[in-house]
Amino acid sequence: MTKKTAIIASNGGLFDAYKVFNIATAAAATDHEVAIFFTFEGLNMIHQEANQQLPMPEGKEHFAEGFTKANVPGIPELIAMAQELDVKFIGCQMTMDVLGLEKEVFVDGIEVAGAVTFLDFAQDADVTLTF
Amino acid sequence: MIQTENVLDAKGLACPMPIVKTKKAMKNLESGEVLEIQATDKGSTADLQAWAKSSGHEYICTETEGDVLRHYLRKDAAGAKEETITIPEISLDAFTVKVENGETLTILDVREQDEFEEAHVPGAIHIPLGEVETRMNELQPQDEIYIICHSGRRSGIAGEMMAKKGFGKLLNVVPGMSDWTGKTE
Repeated sequence: MTKKTAIIASNGGLFDAYKVFNIATAAAATDHEVAIFFTFEGLNMIHQEANQQLPMPEGKEHFAEGFTKANVPGIPELIAMAQELDVKFIGCQMTMDVLGLEKEVFVDGIEVAGAVTFLDFAQDADVTLTF
Repeated sequence: MIQTENVLDAKGLACPMPIVKTKKAMKNLESGEVLEIQATDKGSTADLQAWAKSSGHEYICTETEGDVLRHYLRKDAAGAKEETITIPEISLDAFTVKVENGETLTILDVREQDEFEEAHVPGAIHIPLGEVETRMNELQPQDEIYIICHSGRRSGIAGEMMAKKGFGKLLNVVPGMSDWTGKTE
């Protein structure tokens, strides 16, 4: 049976985004069914403009060079890769309402839903992670 | 080195890209075919082993060449495993005794050219692993053949290939030239 990986993305920094999308694409490439629930600052990762320039943690800006040197793919590139591998993106409806954001500002192909939608996916997941 | 037409260049890519690219490339292979993945990500060895295990493929080996890691994976391990033949092993110590007693042995060294040139057991026949498939007819299937490499892994692969083609008396020298202290030429 297909394994399932359920991820909650609730922070919006560059490091957080790498943790989320690296694990997600690796799991999807290993034939896991993957869903990510983006909530609160986690929504930044899939915001079409914000995700181009996610902030580094304060005082860690010098790592930018390391990212370039290690030839780490950009976040938009990882998102495209994840979507190509059928990773499901779920945007948190409640957060979007609070922040006054519409579905259109996010990358294409996301689903907007509530917590129960994610819980339904996660209840029989083999791996559950929160970032 | 294993010869395969299916080569994936994942050099310079960081985790998880080598895995993602491997998954895509694997789709286009037939069951039993071998994929060579060239990568510079040092974590890719462990990752590909784990990936092969959970995706049902066979991880064959990794060869290192400078900074480049060449990983070999065979598609669909289950199918490939049924045909796996493991040839008997002989310890390097027992093998050394035979050589030192002056027994006439047919020794096949399957390492690469430069490794062979550096040092090999006197009288060893040299066929690099990548050429074994096409050149094993230079040897006699009824002969007792001692296959050797650096550590015993490549010689095991060569032995398996030859056993499938009807070689009956093969022995894998384990470990191999890594621990050889006898005479060389």
